[in-house]
Amino acid sequence: MLKKEQNDYLTQTGPGTPMGELFRCYWMPALLSEELPEPDCAPVRVKLLGERLLAFRDSEGRLGLIDEFCAHRGVSLWFARNEECGLRCPYHGWKFDVNGQCVDVPSEPAESGYAKKVKLKAYPLIEKGGVLWTYMGPPEKQPPEPEFEFCTVPLNQTFSSKRIQESNWLQAMEGGIDSSHVSFLHRGDLASDPLFKGAAGNKYNLGDLSPVFEISESDGGLLIGARRNAEDEQYYWRITPWVMPCYTGVPPRGDHPMHGHFWVPIDDESCWAWSYDYHPTRPLTDGEVAAMKDGKGIHVKYVPGTYRPLANKDNDYLMNREAQKAGRTFSGIEGIGMQDASLQESMGPICDRTKENLVGTDNGIIMARHRLMRAAKALTDKGVIPPGVNPEHHKVRQAALLLPRAAAYTEGAKEALIAKKGVRQTSV
Amino acid sequence: MQSETARVTTARESSYRVQYPNSKRRDVKVVALDSSSAKLVDEVSREHWNGAQFFTSLSFSADSEPGATGDGLKAWLKDLAGAANDLVEEVASSDFVVVVTSAGEDARAVSLIADACALHHKSLVALVVPGPETSDAEISASMTHLRPFARMLVIASGADYISAMLTALRA
Ligand code: FES
Ligand SMILES: [Fe+2]
Repeated sequence: MLKKEQNDYLTQTGPGTPMGELFRCYWMPALLSEELPEPDCAPVRVKLLGERLLAFRDSEGRLGLIDEFCAHRGVSLWFARNEECGLRCPYHGWKFDVNGQCVDVPSEPAESGYAKKVKLKAYPLIEKGGVLWTYMGPPEKQPPEPEFEFCTVPLNQTFSSKRIQESNWLQAMEGGIDSSHVSFLHRGDLASDPLFKGAAGNKYNLGDLSPVFEISESDGGLLIGARRNAEDEQYYWRITPWVMPCYTGVPPRGDHPMHGHFWVPIDDESCWAWSYDYHPTRPLTDGEVAAMKDGKGIHVKYVPGTYRPLANKDNDYLMNREAQKAGRTFSGIEGIGMQDASLQESMGPICDRTKENLVGTDNGIIMARHRLMRAAKALTDKGVIPPGVNPEHHKVRQAALLLPRAAAYTEGAKEALIAKKGVRQTSV
Repeated sequence: MQSETARVTTARESSYRVQYPNSKRRDVKVVALDSSSAKLVDEVSREHWNGAQFFTSLSFSADSEPGATGDGLKAWLKDLAGAANDLVEEVASSDFVVVVTSAGEDARAVSLIADACALHHKSLVALVVPGPETSDAEISASMTHLRPFARMLVIASGADYISAMLTALRA
């Protein structure tokens, strides 16, 4: 349970809010590279942390993320012409470059210097691992580039997708660290999904429905270990890393690519659910990429031409009661991603946590909230840089492994939890 | 026409969630396993709680050794007022039990509490609180000791986490 003030504190990320300031300390995924495929392509509207922005790639391939609205009389620059290194507003012809600088006001003599006095707010936009990242905080505090393993391996080893989620970011992110739902909600998919099936570890998931949990803080966030009984006096451990504020990793299965999420606030009532899939040491196979594009694993099928899931609230997520009765899916909804999204959206746009009843096994969620509130307070009160900003904190890996019963996973899995170039993941 | 799910998941519709309580008071028993965690538990107990009860030490009767089970289990929990309470009875009347230990301290008492929990099918959450000087080895030793007994084992960031967790659990 959270008090109403705490719930507001954690769920509001607009400018000037404590959590909003916290989010503005980090590089965050803003768009997929594919959304700005070439110089002078169409600009794209982007809303992040409650701010309406416009992304574009200029004639020289430079990336820009600027205030969506023209400084002259406020029309959306989504209608602009992307030409000759800038966006030209179609209304009266004012032109802006990737830094938001106004470079032409046709009604004024160029020599007057009027254009120099006009500048739209702009944020840096960089390309890494097929993702365009932005940093929306003060320029003097801009951290080094993100080093999450999925965005540093060669491009043929990684695949990212995103889907819009019509709920606050926190209830989405909490699903990513809530290991105890997997044995219920997703149980139908372990055996059938091409991106999960066949892993030796799956039998432990299905064989022991009440895992035991261990939680510890890591430099950048948390490690959430779930253990199940395995043969020969061993435990099967699945370890989920959370890096503040909104990166989560799903423990791997067999040699399948490793996956996880970023949960990025759009505004307080919607967020982007980013899904990455990568293999540390080998290219993804054609079959794997085809399955990901087809919405398998943690990815989803889309309404054509959008990043909105094909199964969405407008069609009741294609609820299939027969599949639910027959046990093919536990909730009646197809696909891991939509199983999560449908339930999280059903909580309402902002989950009312004053009504929840948590249990001891929800400590991962309790601790993540606690850490977020602590970090936001330390930032607001004392300017302390929060965990997860330092790129060293990004070099963590999810892991699945068998350990002797007496071993602590923080010890036994120490090496497995570190991202190392050219080293295969630790997985069962 | 809009689907029912779309219609009911707006902020406006969410405001119609019924305003009646959906749970009753929990009886949570919080037990410090050693003297340094007793100080923390004592501190936490001074906050306002719904039904949580706090205990700071465990003592055994002469004829009951740690490890005894069932009827052989005879041990007392000392509450903050100094009164001795029968361990098994306290556990029996609880909804769940939280034990707190300071990393590196003697946490052997957990086995007896875990036996009582097993006897009455109560779940046990264990918090290890590191001190400012605690080494990784000490944390690890505490974890190893508690591992077999707890359904949820947490390395707490400090005393403030004990409060945060109990509040979250409506203790
Ligand atoms: S059982 Fe967890 S939300 Fe209903
Ligand atoms: Fe899930």
